[in-house]
Amino acid sequence: MRNLIAFYLRFRIFLVFAALQGVALYTYFTYSQFPKIQMLTTAGTANAEILKIRNSITKHFNLEYTNKQLMLENIRLREKLRQSVYRTDKGSIMIDDTTYKQQYTYIPGTVIDNTYDKRDNYMTIDVGRIDGIKMNMGVFSSRGVVGKIHFVGERYSIVKTVLTKNINIDVMLEPGGAFGLLKWDGKDARRGTLSGISNDMVVKKWSRVVTRGGSGIFPRGILVGRVESKKYIEGKPLWDIVVRFSEDFRNIQHVYVVKNLMLRELHQAEQSIPAEVEENEEL
Amino acid sequence: MGRILVHSIRFILFVLVQILILNQFEPGLGAYAMLYPLFIMLLPFEMGTVPLMLVAFALGFSIDIFSNKFGLHASSAVVMAYFRPVIFKLFAPRDGYESENESNIYEMGYRWFIYVFGILLIIHHTWFFLIEHFKLNEFPLLMRKIGLSVLLSFTLSLLVQLIFVSRKKSER
Repeated sequence: MRNLIAFYLRFRIFLVFAALQGVALYTYFTYSQFPKIQMLTTAGTANAEILKIRNSITKHFNLEYTNKQLMLENIRLREKLRQSVYRTDKGSIMIDDTTYKQQYTYIPGTVIDNTYDKRDNYMTIDVGRIDGIKMNMGVFSSRGVVGKIHFVGERYSIVKTVLTKNINIDVMLEPGGAFGLLKWDGKDARRGTLSGISNDMVVKKWSRVVTRGGSGIFPRGILVGRVESKKYIEGKPLWDIVVRFSEDFRNIQHVYVVKNLMLRELHQAEQSIPAEVEENEEL
Repeated sequence: MGRILVHSIRFILFVLVQILILNQFEPGLGAYAMLYPLFIMLLPFEMGTVPLMLVAFALGFSIDIFSNKFGLHASSAVVMAYFRPVIFKLFAPRDGYESENESNIYEMGYRWFIYVFGILLIIHHTWFFLIEHFKLNEFPLLMRKIGLSVLLSFTLSLLVQLIFVSRKKSER
């Protein structure tokens, strides 16, 4: 026992250092994968209230720009309204409403905290569990895809934006339909990379990159960005494609959270796929 | 007793400035201004390493919960607190430090402050970005981020002291 105390007194400083480092690094690496306690994130109610007060001051700086964006979106939506569409069949065929069933609904939210220049960028929005937000729902804005829900608090939630490691949103090229995964290398908030597209496919510059809707997180066809450049990867039959995001993360204020009403059916259907045999991969 | 109060108020101010202003200020190219290392630097000379690290941990963690870094600031603040006595010893004046002095730029001199705070800031920022990236194949980006952020944080810390530390009070 005496030796133990002597040991502690001798290496006291280093032991405390190691213990504090252990706590800090453990929370860092586990929380960036899967946060558990709400108080330790910006979705904690008290923390978010402070950020909300700050946002209520700073949001006015972008007001003019935001208004313009919302106006443009209104124009796009108004063009799709019944009164602005010419009806060609002149009522000769009755359209049965049951042919269409709502699959996606959207929950609007306001961004109260956002970064774009770190290695992993998170965003806090002012909708939470009581508004129907759940883990891994998709988030987009009027300009394009933003990210996925990373953590849900009571009234606030955290979005893991496209500007993080391992975001891996499944996207496809339009036209053509070749699909791959969207990644971010940490360098530029306006550009990401698209991996997994075989280099025998024709990829045109400035062709649209849209969501594929394969995992049920996003509806099919939400804009991500456009192909800016492409080059060969040494020793791999794949394109290295640089995508210029249509979303500008530097001034983003209003987002929509995607709620997929048929997600359970999709998961059930996917579970019925038999597990892959490992031998096939080796061939 | 008065000093504890001064440092407590300073603690709150540094956290507020970091989360409300500097976390929103993103000048581009990956530079990130961090002012709170200055708080650890300005703690009293006679403070032991263990209380120093505990205060640094509390400071870092309160910044973490407002910036979704989940412990990254706490970790780098503790590293800086751990190295503070080592660097202080290395640059100690001939007859040691006087406990009524504060380690700011006026009382200890420009030369001393630039060396000591510069080294501590480099240690802090290097640890911060190394853990944040956790990948050495992003090395050029990492170096750019560390270099620019150290420059930015150091300039900011100097400015804050030039504005808020009154020279007369220090000379008394």
